[in-house]
Amino acid sequence: MPEQAMAEMTYKDRLKVDLFPTIWCPGCGIGTIMMQLAMTLDELGLDERNTIIVTGIGCTGRMGGYLKHEAVYTLHGRTLPVAEAIKTVRPEMNVIVVAGDGDTASIGGNHLVHSIRRNAPVTVLCNNNEIYGLTGGQTGPTTPTGTKTLSSPAGNPNTPINLQAIVRSSPHALYAKTTVYHQIHMRNAIREAIEWPGFSFVDITSQCIENNGRRIGFDSANDMLTFFRKTYKRAPKDADHLAPFEIGIVYPADHPSRNGHVSAPAATAAPDTQVEPAGSIPSRTDPEPKAAPPTDDEKARRRAESVARAALMAKLPADMKLRVARREISLEDAMREAGVDPE
Amino acid sequence: MTRRLTQGNEAVFRGAIAAGANYYAGYPISPSTEILNIASGWAAEHPELRFLQAEDEIASANAVIGASLAGAKAFTATSGPGFTLMQEAIGYAQKVGVPSVFVDVQRVGPSTGMATMPAQGDIGQVKWGSAGDYTPIAFYPNSVEEAFRLTIDAFNAAEESRSPVILLSDTFIAHLNEVVDLDELVASIEVVPRAIPALGDFTDAPRFFAGVLMYEHGPMAGEPATADADEYLRQFYAAKHRHLEVAARYARYEHGWNVEADVLLICFGIVSRVAAPLRDEFALFRPIRIHPVLGDELREVCARYREVVVVEANDGQYADMVELAIHRQVKRVPLLGGRISLEAVREGVDRVLGGGPSEPPIPETPHERGPRATLGVG
Ligand SMILES: Cc1ncc(C[n+]2csc(CCOP(=O)(O)OP(=O)(O)O)c2C)c(N)n1
Ligand code: SF4
Ligand SMILES: [Mg+2]
Repeated sequence: MPEQAMAEMTYKDRLKVDLFPTIWCPGCGIGTIMMQLAMTLDELGLDERNTIIVTGIGCTGRMGGYLKHEAVYTLHGRTLPVAEAIKTVRPEMNVIVVAGDGDTASIGGNHLVHSIRRNAPVTVLCNNNEIYGLTGGQTGPTTPTGTKTLSSPAGNPNTPINLQAIVRSSPHALYAKTTVYHQIHMRNAIREAIEWPGFSFVDITSQCIENNGRRIGFDSANDMLTFFRKTYKRAPKDADHLAPFEIGIVYPADHPSRNGHVSAPAATAAPDTQVEPAGSIPSRTDPEPKAAPPTDDEKARRRAESVARAALMAKLPADMKLRVARREISLEDAMREAGVDPE
Repeated sequence: MTRRLTQGNEAVFRGAIAAGANYYAGYPISPSTEILNIASGWAAEHPELRFLQAEDEIASANAVIGASLAGAKAFTATSGPGFTLMQEAIGYAQKVGVPSVFVDVQRVGPSTGMATMPAQGDIGQVKWGSAGDYTPIAFYPNSVEEAFRLTIDAFNAAEESRSPVILLSDTFIAHLNEVVDLDELVASIEVVPRAIPALGDFTDAPRFFAGVLMYEHGPMAGEPATADADEYLRQFYAAKHRHLEVAARYARYEHGWNVEADVLLICFGIVSRVAAPLRDEFALFRPIRIHPVLGDELREVCARYREVVVVEANDGQYADMVELAIHRQVKRVPLLGGRISLEAVREGVDRVLGGGPSEPPIPETPHERGPRATLGVG
């Protein structure tokens, strides 16, 4: 088998495939997000010993039950306080939140604003299907103006919430917009978000075919994907803001150097996301698509490295661990400063 | 030996530290705020205590849950209104089995009520505040030293029962200053270690901590059990029996004063201190473990007295529970609006023993302006 094809397969180790098929409707976008997350985790060498999943309530929240990771299926809207506390207690862990638009921006909106303010070093993947899927299709905070839903039969009279503006109210937070159609872009965005040392947010437009799509005139999930393909365009390079229907990754102006938990090897890192000089640099949008995916050997190496790194971090005092997680100090310097013997 | 004037709230905090607490999240609210302030100061000097001033009590409670699952001994402190916001999270912690400690320093409610005045109005909220059925364990001290000891008990019982344990307090106990030697007490305490492996440290397979009912064992493990009453029964009773078994180890109460008297006063927290000058006339039963209600103990003790009078700073919340437990009517003295004084106790007890109603005489609205209340700290 060619190396590339073999490498693609190992992401299934991140999934509880024995529980498949999932409970999601055929054609639902959540499965695609889960697959891209699994592939990214696999690519980065992250596993069930160093990566915790926190999900909210809603169709999206069910993802925690299908990933082969320790997962906390929280109350509706409460992913962020839970995730932030996990990261605070165990900074050596990667903490990834997966939640719906309603969960993240409506009932959980206050936590979103404040986790961003505190630059909580967690990653949020928001399955933005523009609807309350699980409860049958009511208007959500990101439902477009005019969309007819069960709870707005005459069309949603309100302007959807501006997630980009909220996330980017912090000069430290990373915001990415992508769609379920743009899978490679989505994977890049998820990877950049996981590797980001502070708060990161991936806003993923996706389809709820059963409780939204069909009601607003789409015949199939494929129709919705075609719509995403036609309407969403890559933002121009170096744009520091995404216009409506643009996809991209917007890095904060104070983009720090990349001495992170899993340092992306030069071969796969995009040219414009490499080590940056300290100080103020302009915001930019996403990198070019990656080179060939890593081989299994390379993934195994990364996995060993991330496990070793987490083990070393665990030896540090609590406050230092958090500084390392935030990349305010390198792991090596922290070990030296704390007088911890790496052996 | 360091005998030192110590405040009730401070004793709670020191008890938490002695019990191994290393995570605190909170939001300011009188009369619990000192715990937050002390925690932040302590965390600045002892980085092993992680501290979060959360955006609200919903966040505090959920952060405590996250911290506990991540391996910390975690706690928060609040008062009635904040405790109300925490109820959904407390239900989650009950369902999932999250060892944690919630301190509720009671003030006069409902709502924002009388922020700086003492009350005991959350006895029912502790038991029934969240949706569904669960078996909470709650303690209520009446002194600074006991606040310290019971906080440690609360942390220990939380680990043993794998549940959120409630420590009740009130404005008076919180702000009471008494001379104690906490260092000496620390030497004699036992600390129960963490009950569940931290996130990432699982032993068999990765776990899924869910508020929805999931099959935990057997061929369906990992699937939702959201329509299976059998699985509900298995999980509900396993938790209930575990909590009752742990609670039995902490069946704390005080039966004292003049035990030969023929009238028994039941009171707890600050009311038991305020009523103490009546010690020659009455016997006292003071429940320290407020929940689960001390059924056997109450039945046994109450049977020895002609009259049982429950004196509490709410409108009969504990009295209802006592009646259910002992199958007998009790007399009730509600101390409302923050009026917890010896005179109010004396007047109320005399009134109900004389055959009068439990409701106190209601004063008329005054015709002239009186002194204005200070703003206080809400
Ligand atoms: C406190 C609370 N309120 C309401 C609900 C009911 N509820 C469950 S999911 C949901 C909305 C889900 O929408 P979203 O977060 O967008 O997730 P999706 O189903 O679309 O993935 C609601 C309102 C709940 N579970 N808990
Ligand atoms: S209701 Fe919508 S969001 Fe939920 S599983 Fe079905 S398609 Fe997906
Ligand atoms: Mg949704």
